[in-house]
Amino acid sequence: MTQAIVVEGLRKKFGSREVLHGLDFAVEPGSVFGVIGPNGAGKTTTMRCLLDIIRPSAGSISVLGQNPRSAGTALRRRIGYLPGELHLENRTTGRRMLEHFAAISGPVEPKHVNELAERLNLDLDRQTRKLSKGNKQKLGLLQAFMHKPELLVLDEPTSGLDPLVQQVFHAMVREAVDDGATVFLSSHVLSEVQQAADAVAILRDGEIVTVSTVEALRTAAARQLRFNSTGTEAHDVGAVLARVPGIANVAVRELKAEGHAAPTVEASATLSGHVQPLVQELARLNLTDLVLEEPDLEEAVLTLYTAQSPLPGQAPGLGQAPGPGQAPGPGQAPGPGQAPENGQVSGRHAEGAHRA
Amino acid sequence: MPKILPLFTKALTDSWRSTLAWAVGLSAACMLYLPLYPSIGGSAQMQDLINALPPEMTKALNYDQIASGPGYTQATMFGLIGFLLMSMASIGWGAAAVGGDEESGLLELTLAHSVTRVQVVLERALAIVVRIALLSVLVFLLVLGLNGPSQLGIDVGHLAGAVLLFAALALLSGTAALFAGALSGRKIYGIAAGAAVAVLGYVFNAVGRQSPDVEWLLNLSPYHWAYGNSPVANGADWGAAAGLYGISAVLIVLGATALQRRDVGV
Repeated sequence: MTQAIVVEGLRKKFGSREVLHGLDFAVEPGSVFGVIGPNGAGKTTTMRCLLDIIRPSAGSISVLGQNPRSAGTALRRRIGYLPGELHLENRTTGRRMLEHFAAISGPVEPKHVNELAERLNLDLDRQTRKLSKGNKQKLGLLQAFMHKPELLVLDEPTSGLDPLVQQVFHAMVREAVDDGATVFLSSHVLSEVQQAADAVAILRDGEIVTVSTVEALRTAAARQLRFNSTGTEAHDVGAVLARVPGIANVAVRELKAEGHAAPTVEASATLSGHVQPLVQELARLNLTDLVLEEPDLEEAVLTLYTAQSPLPGQAPGLGQAPGPGQAPGPGQAPGPGQAPENGQVSGRHAEGAHRA
Repeated sequence: MPKILPLFTKALTDSWRSTLAWAVGLSAACMLYLPLYPSIGGSAQMQDLINALPPEMTKALNYDQIASGPGYTQATMFGLIGFLLMSMASIGWGAAAVGGDEESGLLELTLAHSVTRVQVVLERALAIVVRIALLSVLVFLLVLGLNGPSQLGIDVGHLAGAVLLFAALALLSGTAALFAGALSGRKIYGIAAGAAVAVLGYVFNAVGRQSPDVEWLLNLSPYHWAYGNSPVANGADWGAAAGLYGISAVLIVLGATALQRRDVGV
């Protein structure tokens, strides 16, 4: 099966200012591909290029096997699009607006529209100008989903939605994917993409910093480690930690022992990479307390936004912009060292389907 | 749900309020101005007053012809107030059709659907044509209705020709606005272009009629092409009508081409 989206060497200049500096990525059919990056990184521009709303300055784009520039209306019928800045007409109701969009897109079952509106808890007969930002966003989502497109291109889909509706949205995404659709979505917050996406591209200043799975990002991201141990000298504890790959920012100090009790050593460090080697080393110590925090993906991504250098302790396979056929995703032969992550992606996927 | 001309239908139904408002305005203008003819244009006192005005002014306002019913109708309704109202309506619609729609962020979502850009421009242009036609037919009927009661003495054939030119003139500034809006993606450029066509056309006519030295300005004035021979009195210049509609058609095609070739919403 061909890739749902293949982007090669995509560049976009507005006047003399280049905002996309040669993007390469591919999206597997039937997967959820997330793009995260700060405002102005080029997410919206990339999406608009996919829809032929703006035209690339260089590079090639293939969407569902076709060039959006020449494929015309038949291709756009197969795509559902939610713009990042959603503007709706004021003097109309949601229902009339959706009827119009149905008239200029794929066939829409009226029953399906009502179902979606009910799930999103949206009143279609209210005037659009009276809708809150969140309700407008629901209307935008509805018009993107209602013709059951093969590809969903969603720019900041959860913006303005309350957590409950965000869950509904994630369920809608999973159902679309279960029906064989591909979803390409963006966000400036990782946690939103993390819930939905199989693969994540991080975009900064018009360049892809990395394409990876959420799990691989998680592995690469630093976790805070803290523990207390007794019966071992501080410098020995330091030596134990030094043997663990991915350990950094080590701080070890001896706590003052009360009375004649054995001295306690308090250690803290950050760990990026796999946990197993750490556990093996720590097993040599007599631990009285151990805290290994959830990896802070937000922090990891923020590092990627700002730092020119790749993530410290990066997992193998990260940081390369994969050409077509190399993008990580379910159903793809995992690269070396990525097997567990991919396994987890499919597992999470199955769980998602179950929940839906 | 395949619908015929969905964008045209939508443009038309979305603008029924403004169409109605302009219709009310034009009706009011007709019904206020034309019944005054027996007491203004036809009266000797009024003619004395007009003779007392500077001749440059009478020429600029086309008041040199208001002594006859057709001339009065030409000068006041078609040449001034009707022209003003129709141009405003048409320019507003033309500038909003693409430029305004893009500026408000709505065009992006429309284009993301299964429509072509050429289709967007053509269907919306058609909606402008239909609205102008509706208003023009209304004016035709109103003038026709007032023709007897107001003692205007207008030939129906000449009136039809004049209304055709009246519509052509409005359409020209509307399509100029549409084209500039489609080219730039900004409503204000559309309004500027449409207003330039209407206002400069009017000014070139007014100035060009003052003296032979500046007569060449008349050649640049669509207003003069349409009204130069006072069509309500003398019948339409069909060549001018064809030319005006032809230029409008070209502007629509150019607008479609311009939109087809550029980025939207940037």
